[in-house]
Amino acid sequence: MPQIFIDGQPFQARREQTVLQVADEHGIFIPRLCWHKGLSIAGNCRICVVQVEGRSWVEISCNMPVSEGLRVLTDSELVREHRKATMQFITLNHPVDCGVCDKAGECTLQDYHVAYNGERSISVEPKVEATKFYALSKRITLDNERCILCTRCVRFTREVSQSHALGVKHRGDHSLIRPSGDMPLDRDAYSDNIVDLCPVGALLSTSFLYKDRVWTLKATPSVCPGCERGCSIDVWHRKPEWFVRSLDARHNRTIARVTPRDNPAVNGPWVCNKARDLAQLLERTRADTPMRKGRAVSLDDALAAARALIEQAKRPVALVSSWGSNEELQAFKDAFGARFGCFVKADHQPADGEVLQDELLIRADKNPNGRRARELFGSAPIEYPADTDLVLVWGEGCDFARLPRGVPVIFLNAFLAPENGHADVFFATSVHTERAGHFTNFEGTVSAFSACFSRPPGAVDAEQVFAALALQEVLAP
Amino acid sequence: MAKDTKILMTFPVTATSHRLEEVRARGGYQALEKALKTMTRQEVQQQISDSGLQGRGGAAFATGRKWSVIQLGDGQPHYLCANADEGEPGTFKDRWILENAPHLLIESMMIAAYALEVRHAFVYIRGEFEGPYRRLADALEEAYAAGLCGNNILGTDFSCDLVIYRGAGSYVCGEASALITSIEGKRGYPRNRPPRLTVKGLYQLPTVINNVETLSNVAWIVAHGGAAFKAVGSAKAPGTRLISISGHIARPGVYEIEVGYPWKRLIYDDCGGMQGGAKLKCVIPGGISTKVLTGEEIEKLNLDPAEVEPAGSSMGSGGMVAIAEGTCMVRLLQVMLRFYHHESCGQCTPCREGMGWLHRLIDRIVAGQGRLQDLDLMARISRLQDGNTICGMGDAAGYATLGILAKYRHEFEHWISTGRSMHEGNLECRRSS
Repeated sequence: MPQIFIDGQPFQARREQTVLQVADEHGIFIPRLCWHKGLSIAGNCRICVVQVEGRSWVEISCNMPVSEGLRVLTDSELVREHRKATMQFITLNHPVDCGVCDKAGECTLQDYHVAYNGERSISVEPKVEATKFYALSKRITLDNERCILCTRCVRFTREVSQSHALGVKHRGDHSLIRPSGDMPLDRDAYSDNIVDLCPVGALLSTSFLYKDRVWTLKATPSVCPGCERGCSIDVWHRKPEWFVRSLDARHNRTIARVTPRDNPAVNGPWVCNKARDLAQLLERTRADTPMRKGRAVSLDDALAAARALIEQAKRPVALVSSWGSNEELQAFKDAFGARFGCFVKADHQPADGEVLQDELLIRADKNPNGRRARELFGSAPIEYPADTDLVLVWGEGCDFARLPRGVPVIFLNAFLAPENGHADVFFATSVHTERAGHFTNFEGTVSAFSACFSRPPGAVDAEQVFAALALQEVLAP
Repeated sequence: MAKDTKILMTFPVTATSHRLEEVRARGGYQALEKALKTMTRQEVQQQISDSGLQGRGGAAFATGRKWSVIQLGDGQPHYLCANADEGEPGTFKDRWILENAPHLLIESMMIAAYALEVRHAFVYIRGEFEGPYRRLADALEEAYAAGLCGNNILGTDFSCDLVIYRGAGSYVCGEASALITSIEGKRGYPRNRPPRLTVKGLYQLPTVINNVETLSNVAWIVAHGGAAFKAVGSAKAPGTRLISISGHIARPGVYEIEVGYPWKRLIYDDCGGMQGGAKLKCVIPGGISTKVLTGEEIEKLNLDPAEVEPAGSSMGSGGMVAIAEGTCMVRLLQVMLRFYHHESCGQCTPCREGMGWLHRLIDRIVAGQGRLQDLDLMARISRLQDGNTICGMGDAAGYATLGILAKYRHEFEHWISTGRSMHEGNLECRRSS
């Protein structure tokens, strides 16, 4: 355990660490553009320079191994001069078009300019022109003028997603990030991570392009329901103070974008593209009212009808959703576990062309809480006893044609589907971005999610339905 | 003292002097035989350390020290690379070895491979060297056929294969770490140190990379002993240097001089002075990345690092350019900066952006749009690049700029204030008969 000194303070370091890592661990911030904890060391941005005490030159801290008694300064006169120079170099050919850049507001370059430079460019030369709006893939747009060639994206596709889809073309200040031929980025299931990795606004999500400014959005911690990995994510949606009034009010309750939330226990700093497309999964047309045989009824009527069906039933069967939160599953167990024959249902099957499983994050079971559901209700295959006289279906993924004929059905679903009207009693439920709860992933790690939006009128949390049916009380309207 | 010892240019160059039979007739490959059959690896390394041989590529790092980092018998493969990517403008001394003494390089590399426990050695030759490549490739075939390379060299149990790898025209690939990255088949980007290449080099294994001229001295050192080599040249920088001289000089070419040789004698006696008897304005001593020295400065100097470095420059790679009075230094710097801009690999920020910046600045000055503060700005950019890049190229361009700006600032100021060169049309050099 070598002891090193950063700005005069002693710290214990591990032998394999670099100065930048030690500083990070102890809350001393050294700026970085090309360095990322999940990638190899490139050492090309030169902003992380530090000065070893007694030397008259600076060195990069990201590649500086610790040694006993090493004394570095992170904010000496020389370091400040070099950081400032590096900022001048980096912004030399950067267009500084923050006004129309999606990254503005969360851009490392902006932050560092304020912190370490704060001056206008000392150059009067014309900037190097390069490609704008270059489609790296269907999902990602590249602005080469903004690119500072930190090569985080290139290293990501080589070291993490291993698609080897990107490379650098040409030399010097004409270097361009480009797809590397036969391995298009479209086939990379993790490609959107490079948008987050990009420290400037060079790599842009095509779907998010010019849709929002990041300061109008807020990030709510959530869990991706795309597979049993349960990656920690941030769901970005409009802040209430930025709600639009004149435009379509749907803007106020849609997912603007999804980014990974660093969680070393589950996903590290990455998520796959399915998480980015969560809006496509959750913003399908919603069911908006409880129904009896396809007729819209009040929630009280629906609850009364469901209660009557349950009271009459002698051999009820329940198909439990593997998308329910831990709390909902427990509520279901408490309400019906003793009375119903319960089977766990896979709500979602892998879609056509979807990556089934890989070694990084993606898992074959495309449901977020299958593990907890099976812990509570067993993993027996679904079968209906001959004298089944009621089926309760919770969530999607049930083929109604295979239910026993002539048996009444209670159905809970969040989305508009033809089956909704066939059920004897139907409840429109909330989706997981409208409530808080926990998912247990396949490794047993429990992750919490918070509500981003309010429930649409007419929808109800499944937990409330179960509680109401169990307690035989009428829900307050 | 005569200072006339020759180590490399010891034979008259003829149409066949590079062939194996003539090389053997004048005693070639005897050093290899001596090393393989009578010396241990440690003994060979000791001879190199004793000789005080320094790298000839420009940085003048002690070869013995570089070699001593390699741990013999550590169970890992080691690699040896000869850096024949001679891209420094004005330098063409390795070309002479590759064309006229390829067997000297092969023999020396086999000795070095033996001393360093190398099974696979590489020659990274610059892509533009078509003739030298063919000479070297032919020589390698001869050496393989004669059992001087490959399996069981000279009947001993030492085997080493030599691979020639042709570059694709990048200046930066002459930098050792970019060179091995290029051999690995990747984009020729220099690597960050640490780790040093002698610890983790080619394919992440210990690798020794030496300049062609450096390696070519090894055979002589083994044949004559390290002490004999140390007796040549000066004490701090033993041996001879190949100097490739070009520019407005009457007899350009490659000259072998002993370290400590009088500069004036090289230019005015050996090379016949300047073309047409012109006055010497300045000399770029060792490739354009070294700072210029004026004609007056070199008068009293000997070609010895101990004298050149205090004068504010360095011997560099031995690529000397003699420049006649009447040459426009503004346009000279413009040509240099265009080269650096074109060759910057684009990996690290200061060099990638700074080279283009300097180039655009000098272009603007030449176009008549210069401002006096641009000169200070150029000096500032050069200083800020210095020491803050992954490889030495950022520093090198800075040295070249600072060197010319410091000594010929008045030419730049003249151009900026009048919009034209101080030397428009004044230069007339004809080859003296």
